[in-house]
Amino acid sequence: MNYPVWEVFSAGGGFLIALISIVHVYVAHFAVGGGLFLVMTERKAYRENAMDILDYVKTHTRFFLLLTLVFGGLTGVGIWFVIALYSPSATSRLIHVFLFGWAAEWVCFTVEITAILLYYYTFSKISRSRHLILGWIYFISAWLSLFLINGIIAFMLTPGEWIETRNFWHGFFNPSMFPSLFFRTAVALVLAGVYGFVTASFIKKDALRETMIRYCAGWLLLPFGFMILFAVWYVLALPEDIRAMVLEYSPETAFYGKAFVVLLAVLFCGGLVMAIRMPHAVKKPMAFFMLAAGLFYLGSFEFIREAGRRPYIISNHMFSNSIEPSQAEKINKSGILKAAKWSRTKEVTNDNTIEAGRAVFSLECLACHSVGGPLNDIAPLTEKYSASGMEALITGLGRLNTYMPPFFGTEKEKKALAEFIAKELHGKIEPDRPAPPAKRKTDIPSFDPDSDEYVLLAWSATGMQSISDCSDILVFQPPGTTIHAQLIKRGPLPEVITRNVEIAYSVEPGFKNPSGQVSFWENAPDIYGRSVEPDTGLAGFGVQGKMAHKKELNAFAAEQVPVVPYPDKDGFMPYPLFNVKAVDRNTGDILARTSMAAGVSTELGCKSCHGGEWRVSGKAGISEATAMDILETHDKNEKTELAARAEKGSPVRCAECHTDPAGKKNGDTDGKRSDSGGILNFSAAIHGFHANYLSGKTGNTCLECHPSRSTGKAGGLRDIHMATGLDCTDCHGTMEDHSIALLKQEREEGKSVDRLMEHLTPVHAESVDEINPRTPWVQQPDCLNCHLDYGPPEMGTAAGFNKWTDDEKGLYRMRSEELGMVMCQACHGTTHAVYPAENMYGENRDNIPAMQYQKTPLPLGTNRNCSVCHTMDMDFEIHHENMTTPFRNDWILDD
Amino acid sequence: MPAQALIPAPDILPVHWGWLRLLLVFTFVLHILAMNAMLGSGIIAFVNTLRKGGGTGDTVNRGISRKLPFTIAFTVNFGVAPLLFLQALYGQFIYTSSVLMGVFWLSIAGLVIIAYYSAYIYNFRFDKQHASSSLYIGIAVVLMLMVAFLFTNNMTLMLNVDAWTRYFDTPDGTMLNLSDPVLFPRYIHFITASAAVGGLFIALAARLGAKGPENEARIDLGMKWFTYATAFQFLAGTVFLLSLPGEIRQLFMGQDTFATVLLTAGILLAAALVILGFKRKVLSCSAAVLVLVCGMAVIRDLVRQAYLDPFFNPADLPVRPEYSPMVFFLITLFAGLLVIGYMLRIAAIRNREVQ
Repeated sequence: MNYPVWEVFSAGGGFLIALISIVHVYVAHFAVGGGLFLVMTERKAYRENAMDILDYVKTHTRFFLLLTLVFGGLTGVGIWFVIALYSPSATSRLIHVFLFGWAAEWVCFTVEITAILLYYYTFSKISRSRHLILGWIYFISAWLSLFLINGIIAFMLTPGEWIETRNFWHGFFNPSMFPSLFFRTAVALVLAGVYGFVTASFIKKDALRETMIRYCAGWLLLPFGFMILFAVWYVLALPEDIRAMVLEYSPETAFYGKAFVVLLAVLFCGGLVMAIRMPHAVKKPMAFFMLAAGLFYLGSFEFIREAGRRPYIISNHMFSNSIEPSQAEKINKSGILKAAKWSRTKEVTNDNTIEAGRAVFSLECLACHSVGGPLNDIAPLTEKYSASGMEALITGLGRLNTYMPPFFGTEKEKKALAEFIAKELHGKIEPDRPAPPAKRKTDIPSFDPDSDEYVLLAWSATGMQSISDCSDILVFQPPGTTIHAQLIKRGPLPEVITRNVEIAYSVEPGFKNPSGQVSFWENAPDIYGRSVEPDTGLAGFGVQGKMAHKKELNAFAAEQVPVVPYPDKDGFMPYPLFNVKAVDRNTGDILARTSMAAGVSTELGCKSCHGGEWRVSGKAGISEATAMDILETHDKNEKTELAARAEKGSPVRCAECHTDPAGKKNGDTDGKRSDSGGILNFSAAIHGFHANYLSGKTGNTCLECHPSRSTGKAGGLRDIHMATGLDCTDCHGTMEDHSIALLKQEREEGKSVDRLMEHLTPVHAESVDEINPRTPWVQQPDCLNCHLDYGPPEMGTAAGFNKWTDDEKGLYRMRSEELGMVMCQACHGTTHAVYPAENMYGENRDNIPAMQYQKTPLPLGTNRNCSVCHTMDMDFEIHHENMTTPFRNDWILDD
Repeated sequence: MPAQALIPAPDILPVHWGWLRLLLVFTFVLHILAMNAMLGSGIIAFVNTLRKGGGTGDTVNRGISRKLPFTIAFTVNFGVAPLLFLQALYGQFIYTSSVLMGVFWLSIAGLVIIAYYSAYIYNFRFDKQHASSSLYIGIAVVLMLMVAFLFTNNMTLMLNVDAWTRYFDTPDGTMLNLSDPVLFPRYIHFITASAAVGGLFIALAARLGAKGPENEARIDLGMKWFTYATAFQFLAGTVFLLSLPGEIRQLFMGQDTFATVLLTAGILLAAALVILGFKRKVLSCSAAVLVLVCGMAVIRDLVRQAYLDPFFNPADLPVRPEYSPMVFFLITLFAGLLVIGYMLRIAAIRNREVQ
């Protein structure tokens, strides 16, 4: 923000800081503990009058001097240099806040080096007691150095009251200062033993060597219990959020925590083993092994401590990328590129997206992520994301993932950053907009208004049935679409016929073998605890058969018909046709025929973020890689073990835990469904979680996942609403609105939703309070919200959102006109494809019944075409108000 | 983009800036004296080994080989404090220039470690008369000269704000301030001063040591270096002065009374030092050099402020007064000095019994 960024992409992620710091810290702790080791061992030599021990102390002092004074001292300065290169703002802050703390530390450093030099060069030249005093002064001043630096390091983790008071002493004597000091002091003593092994193993006399190694083992083992005790105190002294970060959230501590514990055990056992008499040839390498173990032990501790600080470099004060929370608002308004003094690129234009993205990367990401470097390489972490997936991930930072800071900047900058990562670093090219599918000729069944006695209307209850076709791994929507039909006997007073007739349906050839296309049936025993007849749906209906009479609907229905968007020949065809006929049960005569398209798709956008490719023909379908990543992500976030389970061959049915009112719709009520136990229903969970990643975006984010984009391969939203410029959000609300409504309902049922809801800001409402809770699939926007009294909506005020049907009966797909005779969808077509609809696979593919009976794709009876059923003109609006009003948007028909 | 717009916003000071400037100049004097002694004596030792004269050269070098590890240690240590106060006062400049030359700046730690170990090897092997001795003192001196060059680069780059825009072509921290006409004159001025003070350091150590022909030879050699280097400084110093931007040079040539008087006094003192040098007045020279270095440190500070004057005045820095940490520091400093004094005293009391 304030300073230029040192753009060494491969050394990003603080690699050089880690490298220099860890070796420095290892030597610096030794410089403290080793100081005490020197005086105590010298005293021992005097007390035992053992000149060979004194000689050892001399040799050890030389090693000590060369290591701590030269290497330790200079790497200490090196840390100061290197942190100022990576994070000048944070370094400047620490220097200014603790200016005289550092200055006092410098005094200790001066005393320390004077003492150790005098100690070394006056060995055997001054009296024993005076020499010991020099040793003591060295140790005390070295420990005071630790005391001072420890306070500042601990401040970065737990600034405590300083955040409010800005008082030096509050910052220095912060909550983790003392536990950290005690822990580090114990570590320093343990390390004195570890380093002692190395010098002692070089002693030539066998007996003395053994004695001294055993003596060093004592140094290692005696403070060990205290070290563990202080480590526990340290963890307990941490504020709750930081402790949670260390113990739960941080992806780093999982690894380093294990390493820390293992190395702790290695050090302890190693210390015991070193105390045992063993051949010299074993002990010498063992000493170096212990030295390495100590290095990694302390290194893993420092990594854990740093991880605990995330997403900050100074907790609650400055983020890891040196941006301060108080600057957020300004940066989000102006953009990071403008706010950063040292950015050459000042704004994102159409021509500089990648360059601007790179600039944003160096400002916001480089502090913690290298590009192709050894530490925290961004490449493998982002490999699976498409540009839009990357953008979503960045949106979610700082929300559910509190380990990283939120993104700062404008939407354009975020997009540029996402494109830099996806396109420049991973070479992902945005796939060309797919060529629209070849339009197929739609055969319209015949109808003779003069002689035909029946009108048979059939439709798919849902406009687009999304199914998950990765049943080897997981199932959230089994294959199955519901078909409804009504048979109307024509006449001045038409009748809906439900008795003595059979309605038979049959999917078009090429779609009769879904079990050959998806592995659902093979996995059904695992998923549902029972086998399901191949090519039969969960409700018992096959790809062809007779529909059942549904009294409550006054219609016929075939539920959960197992149709998939994959024809026998390769490819993807999301609108298979069904032929439907009405047969007189007594005579066997065919009374009427019609056909209809059932929208079904597997074009779900999971892979944008979860990686993998389309499963089928590069067009649609959830691949194994994508599905596994979904489970792995779930495992990581929720501490589940779903991926392992799926890998063992037992697919995961999401509704097992995320029970769902949609389950009923899908006939998914039997089998292993269990009590949710406070777990969110599927829709609330999946939308609530992902809303954190997809919010704040302009445009229709629903299309990132749902198969409804007009430029996609399914084009699920295909009706007159789309033609008039409306999109999903006009009726369902934005991703945030939609999710808040679902989550609020769950909250009312006593489930915990705060974490998911915390960062969601409503778009179509002033506040969260104003959004009405709703149960998914049971409560949907009502058509009459906009079409008051079945009339034309007020122009420019699409107000479908936030008024929900009371229950399932109120849904468009379940409802009938005012007489309760004819279902809404019978005359108006299926949801999202209401007449007149335009289907990318064939102009009238969704309008077949309308075209059949009227030769126009308009709703049945439009423009007073009452004679379709009534065989004559009618005067009154008996089915619903405004039904005789002429069709308004007839411009659509001209296209 | 005007370079000035790149200057970062400074952080808040805990005390009045005057304190920090005082501490900066004071601790810088300590650092530059130690550094001059270290580098100068190192150069002299290296030249001696190249001459292969044996005799006096070896005598002098033995002393230097023992002292180098000390002078390096204290050069580094005394460098920490002024760099700390520099960062406090001029952080927005020094952090920036450090990033611009990041690769070189960071390399300093590594270079000094190698130089340090080379000096130790030189010391430990000295009496064994290893053929490689010129190699190790050579490595140490060349690395120290490199480090000094990098410091001169950073100290001038932090002031050369106009050059900062070059960052946009080389954001990877590989910039140096080579295009600045003041760079080499300034560097040569400091190296010359090191040679002079290094020589004086050798002479002073000999003068304070036991009387004898060896030490007399040391004084001869040391004072020769001191005197000739100081004489050469009249050329090097003039070039440095002329290389400064006109408006800054003018301050020392009449425009600013204090600056002019200080520089004139410095030049006169240097002239006196040449004469005293020829007369082998070691103690007088040492006392005068101490005064001169203090004066030069103040001049250096005035030059820095003159560079920054167009866009920065430390008086404008935000302050949130909090004096107790400074009092704590001063007490620590006082206690530290007492302890160091005490240690030097007990270390000086040789115990014959032990020996």
